[in-house]
Amino acid sequence: MFNQKGQIRIIEAFLSVAVIFSVVLVSVTFPFSPNLARQRSLTVIGTQALMELDNNGTLGSLIAQENWTLIKESLGILLPVGVAFNLTVYDESELPVNSVIIQNSDLLGGGSVSVRYVCATQSQVVRFFVLRLQLAWAG
Amino acid sequence: MTQLRRRGKSGQILLIAAFLAASLLLSAELYVFDVGRFSGEVESVSLSDFVLAVKLGSRHVVVGSLANVSNGGSGSVLELNLQGWASVVGEWYQFGKGVLNYTLMDAAPYSSGVWLYWGTGGYGVSSAYASFTHQLSGQGITADQSYSMNITSSVFVESVFQRIGGNRKRVNVTVDALNEAEPALAEQLVIYYRLLGVWVTPGAGSGYTLFDYGNGTYLASFEVIIPAITVEISTHVVDGRGIYVSANATSVET
Repeated sequence: MFNQKGQIRIIEAFLSVAVIFSVVLVSVTFPFSPNLARQRSLTVIGTQALMELDNNGTLGSLIAQENWTLIKESLGILLPVGVAFNLTVYDESELPVNSVIIQNSDLLGGGSVSVRYVCATQSQVVRFFVLRLQLAWAG
Repeated sequence: MTQLRRRGKSGQILLIAAFLAASLLLSAELYVFDVGRFSGEVESVSLSDFVLAVKLGSRHVVVGSLANVSNGGSGSVLELNLQGWASVVGEWYQFGKGVLNYTLMDAAPYSSGVWLYWGTGGYGVSSAYASFTHQLSGQGITADQSYSMNITSSVFVESVFQRIGGNRKRVNVTVDALNEAEPALAEQLVIYYRLLGVWVTPGAGSGYTLFDYGNGTYLASFEVIIPAITVEISTHVVDGRGIYVSANATSVET
């Protein structure tokens, strides 16, 4: 009788250890950042799109002209289909410059990345801007 | 007997406690994942991307400053603009310390990084030259990037004329516009000739034509009535970047 109780307690202890162990195992193998690779690729895509637009001074020129529509259209062309973006332009004093929202769709909550980009105009009166481009895979 | 019951229950309590601990661990794990998923905007501009963006911006600053100076702006514009740019770059690097240093070319023929030579021998140049050192440190990475920006807009002018009759002459002017020694298109091109000591543009009755070869070479043709044996020509060019450059030449009879 005494021995059987002892065996049950040992089984119970084993079960407890097994439960805790399995939870720890799940924790270790749990995907903390399932979209990290996709987010990194988004960052590269976003930066390259901005650099492409900035290559011959077009980006700074469009910002100085406050041509937000053309900036939005250009980003729409440069970024792959299925990428949602939202661009905010700041001046040197960190104040937002764009009077309208520059985005192609509402960013979905998860997995968005933010690319920060500094640019200067190529005009006679040189101006400096800082851009914050938020990107997310739509859907 | 009571002791035995207690002993038996204590094993169940151990199991229940283990389940409780497990569920606590799992819920904490899920919470961390959830928070990370929905508010984890990744601020990740890589080092190389940032350096490239700054290099591109440095180029724009030098181009814009040269456009300003060549159009009559102050010679200190380049220095002031680069100061501002270095300040912005230093402030906005988020992952550590970023310092952009610059040096303006001061060796002849440059002065404060700018060289303007609008000569009479058929050659004109507007140029700006600055060297940069971009140092970045943070997140266990140190980067040191050095580069130079030499922005040069130049123009070559050649001219010949044919005597049509009396003092009437047909003048042909060939203009070559270049950016960094590569053919470049002109945004504006104005040709003057000197008549009685005054620079004038060919009038409506001069039969002025301008042919654009599309490769940075332009051929202007017009008639003038000048008693002199040569015709002095002045060519003013503004290139696609807004940089002004001019060159004078003497047209000779063929």
